[in-house]
Amino acid sequence: MLDERGLIEEARSLDGGYYQLKIAAPRIAAAAKPGNFVMVRVSPSLDPLLRRPFGILESRPPHIWLYYQVLGRGTRLLSALGHGDSLDILGPLGNSFAEMPGKRVLLIAGGRGIVPLFHYAQAYAGRQPLFMLYGGRGRADLPLLDRIKALPLRGLFIFSEDGSIGQKGLLTDGLEKIVRTERPDITLSCGPEAMLARLARMLKPEKTENHASLEALMGCGFGVCHGCAVQTVAGSYRKVCDEGPVFPLEEIRWPT
Amino acid sequence: MADLSANLGFCTLKNPVITASGTFGYGEEFLPFYDLDILGAIVMKGIFKEPRPGNPPPRLHETPAGLLNSIGLAGPGSGKLQEIIRRLRAKTTVPVIVNVCGEDDGEFAEVAGIFSAMDEVAMLELNISCPNVKKGGACPAQDAKHTFRLVRRVKERIRKPLIVKLSPNAADIVAVAQAAEEAGADAVSLVNTFLGLAVDLDKRQSVFANTLAGLSGPAIKPLALKLVWEVCRQVRIPVIGMGGITSGRDVLDYILVGAAAVQIGTVNFYEPAAAVRIIGEIQAEMDKLKIKDLSEIRGQLQA
Ligand SMILES: Cc1cc2nc3c(=O)[nH]c(=O)nc-3n(C[C@H](O)[C@H](O)[C@H](O)COP(=O)(O)OP(=O)(O)OC[C@H]3O[C@@H](n4cnc5c(N)ncnc54)[C@H](O)[C@@H]3O)c2cc1C
Ligand SMILES: Cc1cc2nc3c(=O)[nH]c(=O)nc-3n(C[C@H](O)[C@H](O)[C@H](O)COP(=O)(O)O)c2cc1C
Ligand code: FES
Repeated sequence: MLDERGLIEEARSLDGGYYQLKIAAPRIAAAAKPGNFVMVRVSPSLDPLLRRPFGILESRPPHIWLYYQVLGRGTRLLSALGHGDSLDILGPLGNSFAEMPGKRVLLIAGGRGIVPLFHYAQAYAGRQPLFMLYGGRGRADLPLLDRIKALPLRGLFIFSEDGSIGQKGLLTDGLEKIVRTERPDITLSCGPEAMLARLARMLKPEKTENHASLEALMGCGFGVCHGCAVQTVAGSYRKVCDEGPVFPLEEIRWPT
Repeated sequence: MADLSANLGFCTLKNPVITASGTFGYGEEFLPFYDLDILGAIVMKGIFKEPRPGNPPPRLHETPAGLLNSIGLAGPGSGKLQEIIRRLRAKTTVPVIVNVCGEDDGEFAEVAGIFSAMDEVAMLELNISCPNVKKGGACPAQDAKHTFRLVRRVKERIRKPLIVKLSPNAADIVAVAQAAEEAGADAVSLVNTFLGLAVDLDKRQSVFANTLAGLSGPAIKPLALKLVWEVCRQVRIPVIGMGGITSGRDVLDYILVGAAAVQIGTVNFYEPAAAVRIIGEIQAEMDKLKIKDLSEIRGQLQA
């Protein structure tokens, strides 16, 4: 973990209000593993005050790539930056999705939840059998699809709520069938809380080992503010930033 | 080169920069960023006797240049903190201050006693001002009489210097500071967070389960500076000032109104190595203004 001044080498706006940044940050890039995230200072001013957390889409030293959606002030300020601008980036942070040699792994990504799973697929596809279930509101919500199709996945299943691409519906509509036919040993998921909550109800730990990457409001990203707490089924709290962001799916108390 | 040492009377710190409770973990978390020996001192995150889970999320809400928090003093309890402090001692010689909490006066005294007995601990800071323990933000530091009683009781149990941390939410913070002084406090520190409210208009309820939360960060600096100035004029014991410090100039502002040292809080969250920069800026600023040591400007505000 270190605080590095990254240099933006490419800023692209994609479909659906998504943006992608290519940033030279050699020391973070060298250490980043799929599932890690970074805290980005989107502006040197005191407002907004806090850094914003983002997953790492790809890391090929000396570069990392971020992929984000404009939601509020911080991400809007970030989207105004371009080639030649610099950013303070703290990372790599958090735990990661472990490589599982020989295991059949199903990656389940909703919307911007694709970020750590794309990183995983890029790092490990070809070394282990990977399947991906990827969904969003519509075609524009899945701007990385062409790049995903180019990865050596064993299977790719696309869902959109409006039917504009792939099968119409929520990605969880296709889950049972995919689990039956592809027989994954492990699922790795990231996406909106409602999606993860649904996965937690559907996936059975006796059948698959399930890990999910969570989001939370974060004050620091490295374990000191205790702002990122998430409640477990046992009732205790865990810090998403340094005890996660990846947790066993069954361990989290999901909203019903 | 300017002399940065900060004289607290009962001890002298290398420089006036102390990292504030609750914003610096237990010190260890910052070892990847810099050598803690450069600091005046560090304050541990607030500790109760037993482990505490903290409040339900959301625990944070960002405001313009500020941060509302309702962490609820999540922590591992006094036994675990003793272990952490011993482990930390092997890695740094920075003076360690323990931020002592309690649900009632008895617990404050007991926890203070435990850490007073540790050689690795330099002094104690009595956190009688946390707004996130009781619903509505009530705390002993809102009442001068309660503060006097509590500080006296804690002083009887300990041998180490005692800093009493004051609340900006007291109706009369000067009276509370004077009560702490009279009861034997060796120093006072201020401010803890200002009580604030953020609402969720859609749900028509507070953002926080506890309704109120504590505001920190640059947004509070003018308010905190005023309170530090007022307290400095009315007590003889040293005052440690804090609230919204992000630069060397901010530190000198607090010294000018009378603080003997300062604490830096929220800035540690978004800039983990902030203390290194701030200490460098104090040095540069003093050299530029031809200030030889801090006593030259301490309390020199013309008003
Ligand atoms: C570990 C982690 C990894 C993340 N990775 C990515 C990523 O790769 N790409 C991406 O686009 N986003 C990612 N996010 C979410 C991203 O951090 C937020 O979208 C961003 O902080 C919003 O900042 P803002 O200033 O634009 O919005 P704000 O003005 O702060 O908030 C706008 C709205 O977004 C909500 N919001 C704020 N922060 C979060 C959050 N952390 N999670 C969910 N909702 C939030 C607020 O409640 C509000 O409704 C990640 C979050 C975490 C915790
Ligand atoms: C997340 C958070 C946790 C805090 N926890 C404590 C604590 O445990 N004990 C305490 O005395 N003060 C605590 N504080 C208050 C700070 O030590 C400090 O008084 C306050 O934040 C003002 O300084 P700042 O504006 O530089 O942050 C906390 C503040 C924040 C933001
Ligand atoms: S974000 Fe600060 S502890 Fe997790």
